[in-house]
Amino acid sequence: MEQAEKKKSGMTKGILWIVLLMVAVIQIFPLVWLVDFSLASSNELFTSGLLIIPKTIQWGNYVKAFVDGHFLLYLKNSILINGLAVILVVIISIMAAFACYRMRWKLSGFVKMLLLMGLMIPIHATLLPNYKIYSMLGLTDTIWALLLPYVAFSLPQALFLMTSFMESIPVELEEAAVMDGCGIYRIIFQIITPMLKSSIATVAIMTFLNNWNEFMMASTYLNSPKWKTLPFSVLEFTGQYSSNYAVQFAVMALTAAPAVLVYILLNKHITKGVAMGAVKG
Amino acid sequence: MKRKMVSVMLATAMLVTMLAGCGSGDGGAAGSAGGSTAGDAAGNGDTSGSTDGNGVSDGEQITLKLFSNLPDRKNGQGLVEQTIIDEYMVENPNVTIEVEALDEEAYKTKFKAYSMYGMPDVVSIWGQPAFLDEVVAANVLAELNAEDYTDYKFVEGSLDGFTYDGKLYGLPRNTDIAVFYYNQKMFDDNGWTIPETYDDLLALADEINAVGITPVAMDGGDGWPLAVYLSDLLYQIVGNDYADIVSDAFADSDFSAPEITEAVELLKQAADAKLFQNGYDSQDYGTAMNLFTNGQAAMFYMGSWETSMATNEDIPEDIRENIRVFTMPAVEGGKAASTDIAAWNGGGYAVSANSEVQGEAVKFLNYMYQPDKLSKYGWENGVGLSAQDQGDYLTGSETELQKQIIDILNASTSLSGTPINDCGPSTFKATIESAIQNVSNGTTTVDDFLSIIGTSCQ
Repeated sequence: MEQAEKKKSGMTKGILWIVLLMVAVIQIFPLVWLVDFSLASSNELFTSGLLIIPKTIQWGNYVKAFVDGHFLLYLKNSILINGLAVILVVIISIMAAFACYRMRWKLSGFVKMLLLMGLMIPIHATLLPNYKIYSMLGLTDTIWALLLPYVAFSLPQALFLMTSFMESIPVELEEAAVMDGCGIYRIIFQIITPMLKSSIATVAIMTFLNNWNEFMMASTYLNSPKWKTLPFSVLEFTGQYSSNYAVQFAVMALTAAPAVLVYILLNKHITKGVAMGAVKG
Repeated sequence: MKRKMVSVMLATAMLVTMLAGCGSGDGGAAGSAGGSTAGDAAGNGDTSGSTDGNGVSDGEQITLKLFSNLPDRKNGQGLVEQTIIDEYMVENPNVTIEVEALDEEAYKTKFKAYSMYGMPDVVSIWGQPAFLDEVVAANVLAELNAEDYTDYKFVEGSLDGFTYDGKLYGLPRNTDIAVFYYNQKMFDDNGWTIPETYDDLLALADEINAVGITPVAMDGGDGWPLAVYLSDLLYQIVGNDYADIVSDAFADSDFSAPEITEAVELLKQAADAKLFQNGYDSQDYGTAMNLFTNGQAAMFYMGSWETSMATNEDIPEDIRENIRVFTMPAVEGGKAASTDIAAWNGGGYAVSANSEVQGEAVKFLNYMYQPDKLSKYGWENGVGLSAQDQGDYLTGSETELQKQIIDILNASTSLSGTPINDCGPSTFKATIESAIQNVSNGTTTVDDFLSIIGTSCQ
């Protein structure tokens, strides 16, 4: 009996493994494909096969991506803007979540609703009005032109995740802290924040990935190369009618690399964060 | 408690303003450092802040902003544009030209934003109603003095698309002709002949398919090449009534005129006769072109700007040296002569009406259109025909393909003008370019298609 059960569980495990492997292959294949195509010449791209074996490996595509695509400047901008956006979103969402859920004041419900309503606003609808506001304030072509909308559009989702997670932290903890003479900021930053670690990771990675590839706002609010982000690098190889696809693949592979890296680093926390937030919410 | 809150809020406000101050200070420093690395291709990007709002007087440092639809500055038309900009800055050391370049969709979105505020001094435009109607109505473009350009040898009629109520708002950059590129060697080897009539073309499709080659590589995924093909057919059917029939259709939002119906049916016949490759309705520009340049297709329907294929080293030699062209063959009962061709002047440049340095902007515009600039460099780089007389720049060392195209244009008795998809409002353009695949492959009926595009411009 026991042995049969073991056998059965072994079999389910096997099936599970196969299914998971297949899912993994499907997930990873686009990346492999991207790297593969980035090493071929433009003419070799149009094959009927899934992957191509380049006649000579075209490292030149990467050189072009770095030099003509201004990769390093754009990478610096992307990292700076996304890094700041992530930090701001995390800090603001923790504070806002605490204020709306743990502090009792007249308008807390209303403010919470107001912030969450941001989830419903499509980015494209705000493009032109925001452009006008930014240009009147002289913010276009500055780092703020990207930082403000990136933080603003990531905030509702972040707040949503933070609050559902925060509700799982027992109020007694805070009561104890107050008894020991803790001020409100110490409660937030020394008591609550350390316990929110996995949801912070979730919020960080979501904000980062959403904004990393963002192009529409960046192309509208920026004019000079000063603050342009990585998606502009692809554009440098877009011709009037047809484009240099091979180099664009190289740029995209380079652009994807940091995002993949961030995901791998935070991966452990993100699944935990999403799952726990979901159940306790 | 309340007082504490207020003080916290005040402190936060102070902190934010301080951060903002530091941030912009940092921004300036980082920007100038970045500018030196990025500056080589796109002009210098680090002076934008300092010149804003400065009144400009003679001899003073002037910054011109150029908004271009050519993001690739190292090849083709973008290289031509950048070469002229660099020359201008060398000749006029007090002028700095900053280039901002986006590709078509992003360009048009940002153009809308700029229409509200801060239009750059010189901009790329399209001399077609789909784009220019709204722009001229918004009064964002400066009127140019048409008499200044009498010596610029613009091809007759090429300024029409840029003229509203007798006022000139822009200058055309190219003359585009819709042609069939074909592989001469492949034709000779198989004994195929250039079709004289549309029926010949469809019959030829069977012959070519019989040997396992795609007759015509078509970029159907994008929609606009099919719309150009449709316009080409319509022009063959109605000849010089083309413009009237199209504008009548737009006036009534009714495209059911028998001539238009016939043109759509001819397009459908082409697809039915397997003239285009399998899956043409979803394949894009690069894929279609590659079918032809790899020798998998015998013909390629595209604009004259692709004459540079003849000098493109990426294309195998025995193919690139055998590329020749012919224009759309006559349609039975059609009014157009064989020398009437589908050609139009699309892209061009204009000057912003609100530019603070309008004088300098116009000066630069005129510099670009000096006969030995855009026309000559464009010709030398094989990016197609300019809208000006290029006769002076023929060196005799042109490729056969280039000579053939120039002959076609010189021999032409009349030109069609703007393709139908660019004749109406922008919603019409979007609709026809996404609906035309379905009518060609039979998913929608011809009548449904005509009523769909009719409603889109109401």
